[in-house]
Amino acid sequence: MSNPITSIKLVLLGEAAVGKSSIVLRFVSNDFSENKEPTIGAAFLTQRVNINDHTVKFEIWDTAGQERFASLAPMYYRNAQAALVVYDITKPQSFIKARHWVKELHEQANKNIIIALVGNKVDILEDNEDERKVSREEAEKLAEEEDLLFFETSAKTGTNISEVFLGIGEKIPLKGPEDEHTNGGLNVTEDQRVNLANTANASENASACSC
Amino acid sequence: MGVRSTSQEINRETKERRSHSSSSSTSLVTSLMKSWRISSSSSSSSSSKPSNKSSQSFSGNPTTGTYNDTMNNNLTQTNDGHSNQLRSSNEHRLYSLSRTNSSDGNFDAMSKQQNSTTKSITSPAKTYSPLRYASPSSNQIESPRASLLRQQHNKHSHHNQIYYQHNNNSTISEHSTHKKSSDKYFEDLDEDWSAVIDNYNMPIPMLTNGGNGKSSTSNNNNQQHNDPRNNLSRTSTASSVATSITSTTMTQGQSLQYPQLPNLNTMEAIELEKSQEEIENEREVQELNSIMQRITKFDNIIKGKNVINLQELRQLSWNGIPKPHRPIVWKLLIGYLPANTRRQESLLKRKRQEYTEGLKHTFSDEHSRDIPTWHQIEIDIPRTNPHIPLYQFKSVHDSLQRILYLWAIRHPASGYVQGINDLVTPFFQTFLTEYLPPSKIDTVEVVDPDTYLTEDQKENLEADTFWCLTKFLEQITDNYIHGQPGILKQVKNLGQLVKRIDFDLYKHFQNEHVEFIQFAFRWMNCLLMREFQMDTVIRMWDTYLAETSPETTSSFATSNQSNSSNDGVLSPHTPVSRKPPTFGTPNIDLASPASSASRSNMTTQTNASPAGVSSSDDSSNRFSHTSLNEFHVFVCAAFLIKWSDMLCDMDFQGIITFLQNPPTKDWTETDIEMLLSEAYIWQSLYKDATSHWLK
Repeated sequence: MSNPITSIKLVLLGEAAVGKSSIVLRFVSNDFSENKEPTIGAAFLTQRVNINDHTVKFEIWDTAGQERFASLAPMYYRNAQAALVVYDITKPQSFIKARHWVKELHEQANKNIIIALVGNKVDILEDNEDERKVSREEAEKLAEEEDLLFFETSAKTGTNISEVFLGIGEKIPLKGPEDEHTNGGLNVTEDQRVNLANTANASENASACSC
Repeated sequence: MGVRSTSQEINRETKERRSHSSSSSTSLVTSLMKSWRISSSSSSSSSSKPSNKSSQSFSGNPTTGTYNDTMNNNLTQTNDGHSNQLRSSNEHRLYSLSRTNSSDGNFDAMSKQQNSTTKSITSPAKTYSPLRYASPSSNQIESPRASLLRQQHNKHSHHNQIYYQHNNNSTISEHSTHKKSSDKYFEDLDEDWSAVIDNYNMPIPMLTNGGNGKSSTSNNNNQQHNDPRNNLSRTSTASSVATSITSTTMTQGQSLQYPQLPNLNTMEAIELEKSQEEIENEREVQELNSIMQRITKFDNIIKGKNVINLQELRQLSWNGIPKPHRPIVWKLLIGYLPANTRRQESLLKRKRQEYTEGLKHTFSDEHSRDIPTWHQIEIDIPRTNPHIPLYQFKSVHDSLQRILYLWAIRHPASGYVQGINDLVTPFFQTFLTEYLPPSKIDTVEVVDPDTYLTEDQKENLEADTFWCLTKFLEQITDNYIHGQPGILKQVKNLGQLVKRIDFDLYKHFQNEHVEFIQFAFRWMNCLLMREFQMDTVIRMWDTYLAETSPETTSSFATSNQSNSSNDGVLSPHTPVSRKPPTFGTPNIDLASPASSASRSNMTTQTNASPAGVSSSDDSSNRFSHTSLNEFHVFVCAAFLIKWSDMLCDMDFQGIITFLQNPPTKDWTETDIEMLLSEAYIWQSLYKDATSHWLK
C-alpha cells in the first residue's frame, strides 16, 4: 500500500442554524444552498483528501443542532477522533453553546479528540462589519485555553472550509500500513465504527431519569 | 350503471379533477385489479409471464372454516398467537369472508389473485423488490403474500365490482351481499368540543335536543368527543331525506363497494374471450369509472347528510381521498370537524375565533415572548420545504410562524421541535386548496395565497391548520417531549420488527454496525416526510388519518373503561372495522335481504349483549389500540425492506448514504399505496408481537 488510507471519524456540534450542514456540504460537494432543511438526528457523509503522502478519509457525522436532539450527540461523538464545534459569529448565543460543547467533549469524549472551534458566516461581515457579535479575540482566547484549533469560515463563499479539515488531518497522527493494527482508532476497521448500541441505551436511560 | 352520470355537474367535475384524482383512484387498486385480470385472462399484455393456471385449480367452494384453516396452515412457522391474530384480523377486515355465508368463490379469487400479484410486484417496471421475505421457511414466505392479497383484494374490492358492472355481463343482483353491515348506522363522533353527550344510543334528533349529561367526566373535552363511545346510531332512512336522490345514490354506491365474488367464475370465462384490445379499452373505461365512482362515493358520504358516517369515511379514505374532498375529509378524520353537519359551521366559527383570540393574547403586551422558541421557529420557517415555492412566500412564512409559535407555547412539555415545521405543511397546503379555484388545485405548490385568498380566508386557513396540527400531534406527543421517548421506542420496535420480518437484512446491519437510530430517527421524527415528495406524503396521510385517529391513543383505553356502555369495540380506527349494531335499531330498510341476513348473523355473533361486546372479538380490541406511531413503524419497516436486496450488498457507508437519500423522487401514489398495503400486512401479521414489545 503505497498510499495508505487513514480514516478519521469526525463529528460536528453546535447550535441550530449555525451552518454545520453547510460546512459539510461545502467540504464534501463544494456546494452551498441558502436554505437547507434543518438536520434531524444526524447525517453521515464522507470525503477523502490527500495530506502529504496519505489519503485521509473523513467519516463525518453532522448532528442536529436543536437542544431537543442533544441527547443523541453522545452516540456520535463518543468514538470520534475529531470534532468541529461550530458557532455563528453573528449570534452570541451560539458561542455560549459552543463553550458548552467544548466542555462536554472534554468531559465525555475520547481523551485525544481533536477539536476545532469554527466561527461560521464571516461572509456576512463583507457587507457590514457591525454584524459581528462574537469577536475574534474572544474565540481565540477560548481556543487557547481549551487547546482547540480555531478557524473563522464561510460555508457560503468557501472561505477557510478546507483549511479546517486539513488542519485536523495534520494534527491526527497518520500511520502507514505497518501500524494498522497498533493505531487504535485511526484505521478503517469494522469494530471502530461509532458504536451506538450502548449509547442509545444510555440516552434512553438518561431521558428516563430526567423525567 | 357503473357510471353515475345522473348529473352533468358530476361529469364536469370529474373531468376537471381527473388529472389528479386518477392517480389516487387507480393506483394500487387498479394495479391490483390489473394483476387479477392478468391472471384470469391469459391474453393480457401487461404481464410477460403466463398466468399460472394451476392456482385456479385451487378453486372450489371452501367453507369459511377451510379458508381459515388453510391460512393457518400457511403460518405454521408462526405461533398460535399469530395465527389467531391473523385470523381475527381477517375477521375484522374481511368479515365478508369469514362472517358471511357467501365465501363461495372467494377463495378461488384469492388464489388467483395471489398468483397474479406475485407477478405484479416483481414486474420489471419496479426497480425495487416491494417485499422481501427473508424467513427461511417457504410457508412463511407464502403467508404474508397471501395475506397481502386477501387484504388488498378486500380493500379494493369495490373496483372489482365496478368493473363487473361495466361489462354488464355480471349479475348485479347479489352485489349487496357483502354490503357492510353497518351501512345503516351513523356514528356521531361529534367534535363539538364543548358539548357533552350522554346517551350514545340516542337518535340524532334527541341529541340536538340536549345531549348533555354525565358522560365520562374524567376525560378532557377532546377525548370525550373523539371517543367512539359517542356512537349515535340510527337508520339512514330516518336521518337522510328518504326520497332524495342522495339517498338512492348512496344505496347504489354502497352496494358497489363489495364485490360479488361468486361472479368471478363467470367473469373469468367472459374475459377469456375478449381480445387484448378490448381489455385495454375496458381498463381505461374502468379507471374512469373508478374515479367517478370514487368521487361519487365521497360525495355520498359527506354531502347532504345530517351526520356523516365516519366509519365509512375512514374505510373509503384509506385508499386515498380525491383532492377536492381532501380538506374536509381530513378535518373530519382527525376529529376537528364534527360528524354532525349541523354543528360544523358553529364549531368552525368558534374554533377559528378561539385561535384568533389566542393569537391576540399571545402577541399582546402582557404576554412576554418566548424568545428562544420564537427565534428557533423563525430560523426554521425559511428552511421548511425549501424546494417548494409555496413556502417561500412571506404570507406563508408569517402564517406558519404564528401557528408553530402558538402551538409551542401551548404545549410546553414538548415545545417546538424541528420536524414539527415539516408536519404542519401538509395540513396547510391541503387546506389551502379549499380556497383555490379548481384549476389551481393541482399547482398549489406554486401559488401565492395572497393572490386568491382574502384576509378572512387566510385567517381561517391558519386556524384550521393550527387545530388540525394540534389534533395530529396529540397522538404523538411522546415523540417531542424531552428525550423523545416515543421516537426511541419506535426505532427500537422497527429494529425488532425487521429482525423478525427480514433477518438477513437485520444481520447484515449488525455485521456492518449499522444502527437503526442512525437512519430511522428522522423517519420517525418527520414521519417519513423528508423521504418523499409532498404529493405522495399527502396521499400517505390520507391513509394515516384513516388508519389512526385521536381516539386510538392510549387515552382511549382509559376512557373506555370509564364508560360502561357498549362500544369500545366499535372505534373507527380501521378501514373496515365493524360498527356496533345498536340494540333496537331497525337495520334493514336499505339492506338487501342478504346483507341484512349476514348483518344479523354478525350481530348475534359479536354483539349479542353488551358483555358480548368485550368478549366477542379480540381483533376489535386490538385495533382499538392502533396508533399513529404504531402504524408508522410498520410503514417504515415496509419501506426499509423494500430495499433489502440492495442494502444487503452494501457496506456501512453505502447503507447509511442510501437510506439518507432513498431513490423516491419519482415515486407515485401507486408506489406509496403499495408501501402502505405492505405495512398493513406486516401490521396484521405482527401486531401482537409489537404490542408486546411496547409493554
